[in-house]
Amino acid sequence: MPSYTYAVKGQRLLRQRGYPCAIKRRSKDSENGCGYSLYVGDRCGRAAEILDSYSVPYTIRRDGADDDDKL
Amino acid sequence: MMINFDNAATTYPKPLSVRKAAADAIMSFGGNAGRGGHQLAMRTSEAYYNARETAAEFFGAEPENTVFTLNCTYALNMAIQGVMSQGGHLIISSMEHNSAARPAVALALKKQITLSVAEVYPDKEQTIESFRRLIRSDTKAVVCTLASNVTGQLLPYREIGELCRQRGVCFIADGAQACGIYDIKLSDGINILCTAGHKGLYGITGTGLLITDGKYPIAPIIQGGTGSESLSLFQPTILPDSLESGTPNIIGAVTAGEGIRFIKGRGIDNIRAHEERLCRRFISELSPVEGITIYRDEGAEYVPIVSFNAYGMGSEEAAAILGEKGFCLRAGYHCAALAHATLGTKGGTVRFAPSVFNTEAEVLKLVYYVKILKNLQNS
Repeated sequence: MPSYTYAVKGQRLLRQRGYPCAIKRRSKDSENGCGYSLYVGDRCGRAAEILDSYSVPYTIRRDGADDDDKL
Repeated sequence: MMINFDNAATTYPKPLSVRKAAADAIMSFGGNAGRGGHQLAMRTSEAYYNARETAAEFFGAEPENTVFTLNCTYALNMAIQGVMSQGGHLIISSMEHNSAARPAVALALKKQITLSVAEVYPDKEQTIESFRRLIRSDTKAVVCTLASNVTGQLLPYREIGELCRQRGVCFIADGAQACGIYDIKLSDGINILCTAGHKGLYGITGTGLLITDGKYPIAPIIQGGTGSESLSLFQPTILPDSLESGTPNIIGAVTAGEGIRFIKGRGIDNIRAHEERLCRRFISELSPVEGITIYRDEGAEYVPIVSFNAYGMGSEEAAAILGEKGFCLRAGYHCAALAHATLGTKGGTVRFAPSVFNTEAEVLKLVYYVKILKNLQNS
């Protein structure tokens, strides 16, 4: 997520719609440096649709495992 | 016993819930917001976001477009300098506080912008017309207080906002004296609302807000750490980070959020009605008294602030004498050179500004001492 603010906004939007998710400090180095990720498990596609509908910016990153997708 | 009627400067006392929130925040939110990933940082970040979300909802904005600042002056400087960073024509009203007037004049003196001052009249149509006449093809923004911090005169902000919308001009509003008293929303036609957290919102000092609809970019005047894009040497462009560099006043933001919850609990209309009732009583008691000048015009609307002078005394002297009797009243020029020039109050005024916590008995006590000011001066 581009900022903590968007991470929480995204988290609350998803939780209100029944999608469990968690904010975590970005665990791997990225070209932008520090930041926060929103872990959504294996529901990345649907979560992305919800965030899109509220104009919440994000970048999808997949760590490999189905349950380790994050925005 | 001290009675505070200087609530237009900062409200005091604060609601119990705000005081409790401040104490709890010191105890529980000792981390830094939006920086770390550990438990303390995350807990603090969430509290900060909660305050942001509360303020955003209160003013009809998105949380990410709700920026915490140190006070309203910082918000106005950020808005004015940020919107006018590429130059252009700026209009301010003749009732502006120095927090809007000084940054505008400074930019004009440096030839970065051209500046016009729109006269404010008791009649709102005349005021709107004076703004309308000044808007030209290169006008970028209008800065207008929602209510004068000197007289309390309410400006026709919805109409000015509509005028700005029609002409494609950014409307920057100073809500320091109206927010928490009137239900101000961005949908009133405001593009950027600047306000204090420590006045009508009942937060602690060191809190302010810049709330934008995001339509007009605001170039940051302060750059630094934001907790995001840390490897870049360029300031993030995304809000609120672009305008919130450095560690924020987290405890202050929490209290501002709690203050807003207090207002919602009491009812903003009830708060305004109470304060207006106190002002009406103050005016009705003093306006018939010979030698008392109250700076209000028929036909104008006012927030609960009353400026007055007594018996030809200097405003500072009058406030000092009343201060000895326990009353806290702001005298002088109220950091509003333009407004006092407009009013023609060369010696300044004494300002009566009640809060939700003042009582009619306190007002009547003040009235008694104002009536005998001349005797107190001679004693």
